[in-house]
Order: sequence, then C-alpha cells, then structure tokens
Amino acid sequence: MRTRSARSAGPLAALLATAMLAVACGSDETPTAQTDTSVGGTATTREAQLTGSLNGSGATFPKGFYEVAIAGYKKAQSGVTVNYNAIGSGSGRQNLQDGVVDFAGSDGLVKEADVPKYKGEFLYVPTVAAPITVSYNLAEVKDLTLDAEVIAKIFQRQIKKWDDPAIAALNSGVRLPATDITVAHRSDGSGTTENFTLYLVAAAPNTWTLKSGSTVEWPTDTQAGNGNQGVAQIVKSTPGAVGYVDLSDAKASGLQFAKVKNKAGQAVVPSIESTTAALAGAQVAPDLSYNPLNADGAGSYPITAPTWILVYKNQTDKAKGDAVKSFLRYVVGDAQKLAKDVDYAPLPAALQQKAIAQIDSIVVPA
Amino acid sequence: MSDQILSNPLLGHLSTARRVRNKVAIGSIWLSVLVAAVPLAFVITYLVQRGIGIVDWNFLTDDIPISSRLPGPGMGPAILGTLLTTGAATLMAVPLGVLAAVYLNEYGGKGRLASVIRFLSDVMAGVPSIVMGLFIYTVWVLRYGQTGIAGALALACLMLPIVIRSAETALGLVPNELREASAALGSRTSRTILTVVIPAALPGVVSGALLAVARAAGETAPLLFTIGTVTESNTSLFEGTNTALSAQIFGNARQPFEAAIDRAWGAALTLIVLVFVLTFVARMVARRFTVR
Amino acid sequence: MTITTAPPRPPAPKALTSPGRAGLSDRGFRALSLGCGLLVLVILGLIAVAMTQKAWPAFTYDGLTFFTSTRWAPSAEVFGSLPFVYGTVVTAVIALVLAVPLSIGIALFLSDVAPGRLRRPVSSLVDLLAAVPSVVYGLWGVIVLAPWITGVYDNVSEITSPIPVLSSLFAGPSTGRGLFTAGIILALMVTPIITSITREVFDTVPTMAKEAAYALGSTRWEMVRAAVFPHSSAGMIGAVMLGLGRAMGETIAAALVIGSSPQISAALFGSGDSMAAVIANEFGEAGGLHRAALIGLGVELFALTILVNVIARIVVARGRRHA
Repeated sequence: MRTRSARSAGPLAALLATAMLAVACGSDETPTAQTDTSVGGTATTREAQLTGSLNGSGATFPKGFYEVAIAGYKKAQSGVTVNYNAIGSGSGRQNLQDGVVDFAGSDGLVKEADVPKYKGEFLYVPTVAAPITVSYNLAEVKDLTLDAEVIAKIFQRQIKKWDDPAIAALNSGVRLPATDITVAHRSDGSGTTENFTLYLVAAAPNTWTLKSGSTVEWPTDTQAGNGNQGVAQIVKSTPGAVGYVDLSDAKASGLQFAKVKNKAGQAVVPSIESTTAALAGAQVAPDLSYNPLNADGAGSYPITAPTWILVYKNQTDKAKGDAVKSFLRYVVGDAQKLAKDVDYAPLPAALQQKAIAQIDSIVVPA
Repeated sequence: MSDQILSNPLLGHLSTARRVRNKVAIGSIWLSVLVAAVPLAFVITYLVQRGIGIVDWNFLTDDIPISSRLPGPGMGPAILGTLLTTGAATLMAVPLGVLAAVYLNEYGGKGRLASVIRFLSDVMAGVPSIVMGLFIYTVWVLRYGQTGIAGALALACLMLPIVIRSAETALGLVPNELREASAALGSRTSRTILTVVIPAALPGVVSGALLAVARAAGETAPLLFTIGTVTESNTSLFEGTNTALSAQIFGNARQPFEAAIDRAWGAALTLIVLVFVLTFVARMVARRFTVR
Repeated sequence: MTITTAPPRPPAPKALTSPGRAGLSDRGFRALSLGCGLLVLVILGLIAVAMTQKAWPAFTYDGLTFFTSTRWAPSAEVFGSLPFVYGTVVTAVIALVLAVPLSIGIALFLSDVAPGRLRRPVSSLVDLLAAVPSVVYGLWGVIVLAPWITGVYDNVSEITSPIPVLSSLFAGPSTGRGLFTAGIILALMVTPIITSITREVFDTVPTMAKEAAYALGSTRWEMVRAAVFPHSSAGMIGAVMLGLGRAMGETIAAALVIGSSPQISAALFGSGDSMAAVIANEFGEAGGLHRAALIGLGVELFALTILVNVIARIVVARGRRHA
C-alpha cells in the first residue's frame, strides 16, 4: 500500500513536469544573443533585438517570396515571430481595414471608395514582382510566340484551334498542329487573374471584352482549376491546353511557356530579367503604386504582376511598430537577394530606395 | 433465423414472388455495403500511399517549415491546433447540444417553441461552414482578434445542429417504461434524465457527438478568417493566432512544391488517424457506461 | 402490413416529482435545458441578422436582379444568384438520391443482416467514412475520381444519346468535374451521417416486434418493412434532414470538383457551381460589392434551407396522414 507521501508524489511530479514544459515553451520568447549578422552578408548596422509577433494576411501570389523572407528574418531577429496567412488580397485588405492584422499583402490597389474605411493612413510598400506566364501543352511546339490580341481571342474562345492563321502569323516556320485549344483559368478569385485581365484590357482594348477583376465571366466551354497549381495541373494533363500561371508554379510543374510580344513589338520570354526590365520601365506614383503591365522597354515582359505590403503609417504600439519597420526593411533590403532563387524579381535600385524611404516614414510611438 | 421458420412445414409454401423480393432486398443490402466500401478503400489507399512516407515522430512534433518549398517535417503546431480548437469546440457544443436535445425531447415535446427550435436546428445544419467562420469573424474576431478560441467558436456552431439532432433522436428512442420506472421509485425528472435516460441513450448520443467532432476536425473554411496561421506551436487558445491540420492540408496541397504536397498528405493521414482513434476510444468508453 | 406503429408518447410523468426543494432543482434543470435550446435560436438569429446586414448593398444594388438574374459577372458588377441556386439544388438532390438508399442499406446491414463478425468492421467502415476530412474528399475527387470518371461519363453519354430526355441530361463531353461528380463526393460525405443515426434507430426496434413478424411467416425483408421501418420513420427523416443540410452547405469539397462554371444547364455531367462553392472560391479576393454579394448568397442559402425543410416537413406530414 502506498504511503501518503508516495501517493502525492505522482501529481507533484506531473505538476513539476508541466511547469518545466511551460518554462521551456515560454523561453522561446526571450531574445537570444545573436552572433551572426543577418542573411545576405552586406554590412548593415546592427539592430536592437526585438521581441513580439507580427500577423499579416493577403495575397497568395508573393507567398513563395514572403516565406523565404520570413525565414531569413527569423535568423536576424529570432525574437520576432512573423506569420503570413495567404487567404487572398481582398481578405488581406479587409483584415487590415478591420485592424485584425499588422500588415496586408496585396496584388492590387485599394479602391478609392474603400480608403476612408481604413483606420488611418496606410502606405504601399512595393516588395517584389513576378511574371505571369502563358503556359501551354503542345509536345511538338518548343517555341511559341503570342501577342495580346491573339491571347485575348484565345481566352475568349474566338480562336479555337492551334493552327489558326492568327497564331500562325506570329509563328512563321513553326509547325502548329490542328489540335483543339482547351482554355484553363482560375476557379477561385485571384490577383493573378486580375493582373492578367488588366494586361489584356490595357494591351488589347478593342478585342478583350471580359473586363478585369479577381473573377471574370469566362466562356462556359473553358475549364477552371483551383489555385495556380490547379490551372497548371489542367494544362499539364491536357494536350492542347493553355492557361495563365505564375512563373513559380509553371516551372515547378514543368510547363512550357510562350513568348509574349511587348509594347515595343519584341517577343519576350517570361524571366526574372525581363520582369526587372518591366519594373524599370514603369511609372511610379508618389505613393509608390505603379503599373508594370504592358510596360515600355525593349526587354520588358508585358505580363508582369506587382505586389505590395500595406501597412498603417501611424503605428499604435511601440513594440509592434518597431517590429513592423524592422521586418519591412528586411523584406525590401536583404531579402531581395533571396528573390531570384524563388523565381521572383527583386525591385530595381531606384524603387528599392523609394521603398526604404517609405518605410522610414512609418511613425512609431515613443 | 427466418430460414428455420420458413422451412417449417406447418407454415406452407413461400410464394416465388416473395422469395425473389426477399433475395433481391437482401442482395441490395449487401451491395450497398460494397458500394460504400469501394470508394472508401480507394480514398484511404490513396491517402495512405501519399502520406505514409512522410509521417514519423519528427513529423508529428517538429514545427512547420516557414518556407514551404523546403522538404522535411513537420506538422506539430497543426496537430496541437486541431486538438485545441476541436477540443474546445467539443466542450462547448456537446453539453449545450445534449441539453438542448433534452429540452426538445423531455420537456418541449410537440410544443410550439420546441418545434421552432427543432426546425431551426435543421436549418443551422445547412449553413455553409464558411458563413459560420464569417459570422464569428464579425462578432468575435473584430473585437478580440484572431485566436484559437474564435476558431473553436466557429467549429462549435458547426457541431451544434448535428449534436442536437442525433441526441434528440437517441433520447426519443429510450422506452418510456424506463422513465416511468424511475419516477415510480421517487426520482425527480431531472435526476431521471441524468441517471436513466441519458445513459440509456448514450450510444446514440456518443455517435452523434463523434460525427460532429469528425466534421469539426476536418473543416477548413471556418478557420480561415478566425485563427490566422502559425508555424510554431501555440498552446494558448486565447492569445495569438493558431493553425490546424485541415487548414494546413488545404494550404499546402495548393502549392506546386513536392515538399509541401507531401506534408499536406502527411497531415491528412495524421488527421484521419486521430479522428478514427478518437472514435474508437469514445465508443469503447460509451459501451462501458451504457444502460441496456 | 405493420406490426407496430410507434405509439404516441405520453408526456413524462410529473406528479411524483414536482413539489418542494426537489421541484426547485427540477425547474432549474428544465430552465437550463430550455436555455440551451434558446441558444440555438439566438445564434441562428444573430447569423441571419449579421449576414443580411452585410449583404444588403448587394440585394438592393440593382432591384431584385440578385435573385432573378442568371448572370454572375463580378468584374462588371453584375450579380445574379440563380445559377448557384440551381447548382446547389441539383447537387444536393443527386447526393441524396445516391446516399439515402445506400445509407439505409448499410444501416439495415448493421442491425439485421450482418453476420456477427462483420458487424464491427462495417461499423468501423462507416466511422472511417466520417473521419475523412472534407478537403481530402475534394482533393481525391479532383486528382483521382474526375479523370477516371470521364470515361464512364462518355460511355453513358453515348448510350443515352438517342433517347430524348436522357440525352440532354447525360450529354457529353465532360471534364469529370461537374454537377454529378460533386453529387457523388457529397454522397460519400453525407452517407456516414445518415447511416450512423439510422443505424442507432434500427437498433432500438423491439426484438418482440421482429419475432412477431417472423412468427407470422415473413421473409427477412418483409420483417424489415413491417417492424423496422414503421418504428424508425421519424428517426430516418431526421437523419436525412441532417444529411441534406450537409449536402447543401458543403464548401471546400464541392468547390474543388464542381467545375466552377456559373451556368444553368441540363447536362448533369457538365460543369456548374453551387452557392457554398462559389463563396469558398471567390471570397478570398473579393472586396466591396462582390464580398457583399457572396455573403448575400450565404443568406439566400439560409432561406433556401428553410424552404426545403418546410417542404420536406409538409411532404412527410402528408405521407403520415395517408399511412
């Protein structure tokens, strides 16, 4: 028979174990001494170690880049936890409006009518850009060139076969098969769709009638896939299929993508270089909104999608404000070197400087 | 048993029509089991095929990699998140639902109020899970931020109609003799209900509760706007954002990277095992306490 | 031939229990359970009010076109909900047509037909069906079912092409993702609910009633019709109502396999869209009026569920009266 002390030893041990566990979990939050400099290697003034957590939500388009940025930032500031919830630009903006998150990722700009709904003035911080490819599945055609007019007609089902004269006209010397074209688009609302259709509105205004938006009224004899991955899946498994997919997903799925004729008449391959050229050729407004779609410049890829982080100019909490500024500085600073490896185009130097100045203008209470 | 009776010469010859009808019906019943088993077998096989390679101890305990293109474990925070949110939701929905069912069956009967509540409970079963999430976003998250408890509330709203309906059915099947016997022994109504009726109805009530829990554990949409996301374990329901296996499955399966897709299926396998084990254990426990 | 009909239940005896201190705790308990019942009312009322408030701009934007138009074009700020109502109803009907006979069959198997050693495994089978997360059903539907079933659909289209009505119902070609596939996936998700509850109900049929049926010389099937079904009708209906609710409100799984093409077409194998699916698909990126319109679809689904439940109750009441 167990003695009284033995009987209470059990629960006591459990209590002790729980306490130790709590201490162990809690200790994640105290800042640890950092001996290595932040990722990247260039000389940066050593920041004070910060603690806290930041929550952001928004676009799925830049998620690939934000993830590596957050991972890199963790090495520089291990006391700060950053969570990014990729639920869509619209919801991200709504969350920021409601004050539920600290920053929002958005592929598009806030509509005029919605600006007063925010809790104060907010800033656009450009972060990266990436090309939207027009991916296709034709085993025999290794090299395909398209332009805005033809793309518009294909996606509106006015051109239904690959050997259509309009396509052939752009691809002299290439044997185009008589396969039916299967059009793939997004079933879910998407910033990628929005930028793709904005491009068509700008570059083929007399041909494209479906307007632009996160969802458009696609013809009924087309196929819908969920997410970039869904569209890539359809293109990959259907001979004769064509769809718009961001570069990251297209490469990961092993898709072929077409060259697209830009404003200057050059047929350009979607790549980091041609994206950066488009960014350089774009007009940047004072609030740092800009439009690289259908940009000027011989080397610009015309279907380049921008993305921003939205953040309130006047922060209400010192710890959060400091963390937000530090994180954003990292994203437009050292993290830019990581962008290329994950198929995103870093900001050109001029735009990067403006972004840094924008971040510096964030006001943090003392 | 019926064959013994049918072969009883005293009962006369069974008409062909009746015999055929019987055979067809019994055959259809066996067939229906097959028809359900076949797709399930396919789903489970596919799930196991894709998930088994990645699930190991590290997968179950390590943090979620911040960059989803990196291969490797784990889903620890998601498992914790699922346990916390679904657990909290169950603690809220099951007692509430059972008590509501008690009202409907023991006190309300066919009365006006009871009929309305019953009707509305059925209607609530049809509210899309995403609307529940939006509802909690509007009434809770805007005030208190994205936390585990917000997700739990959304899941509880989803669970409630299932618990109520199945518990009411189970309570209704308890023969009146039991109630009368208990009353004859001098028991108060409330005591009768607690000590006689509910234990007699326990298998049905537990079944319903398990259905509700399975649903809650597998739902993504209500959590999208209510719990946010994390990559490290968050043991607190009331502070900070959280994540769950269902949300991770959906998010990762939509990525193009092999590593993320692997983790998605690993998480799916983990979730289904979790729910199934829970179901099994709960039924065992219920069997112990049933009054039959 | 019915052996037993469920007798009307007299109210629980009160005479022995009410007075004094015992009565207080009794009343307290009753109040508590009433409170919980009322909570359902309150929550539902809150949902209805909060959602309608948010959806109002979409309802009043262009007269009543939200409810009457068949065109959904957010980029042009045109919001018509009819294609989604159609899709929701069609997929729910298909799901129930497939799931109800299946579920009743499995429930009967578990309660009356199964040899003892098969009972536990098949019961676990049902639990397993319930344990699969909805998103997994959706993913499996897209990755495995849709590509495979295209072949089946094409065969059926060919066979039914000369027959007038069926040819338009089963017209091809199909991508495998559409109304019928969504119906199948929903049926898989709804089956465990209906089976579980129905099985519990079947298990409580008094053995005496079953033995009486056998004693009168019935076959097993006749016994089921005479003793099991009449006793269980209320429970079965409750189970089906719950299943219907699930089928109409399922979000993610439907969103992945339904084809996402807002159109009203008789072709069951073709693409369509449902209210819950389109909300799930488009909500992430929606803002302003688009968001309000999606919430409006949620409110409309609410109303539709109420309507369906009312109709079902009328049909059942009429059926009972004629029995």
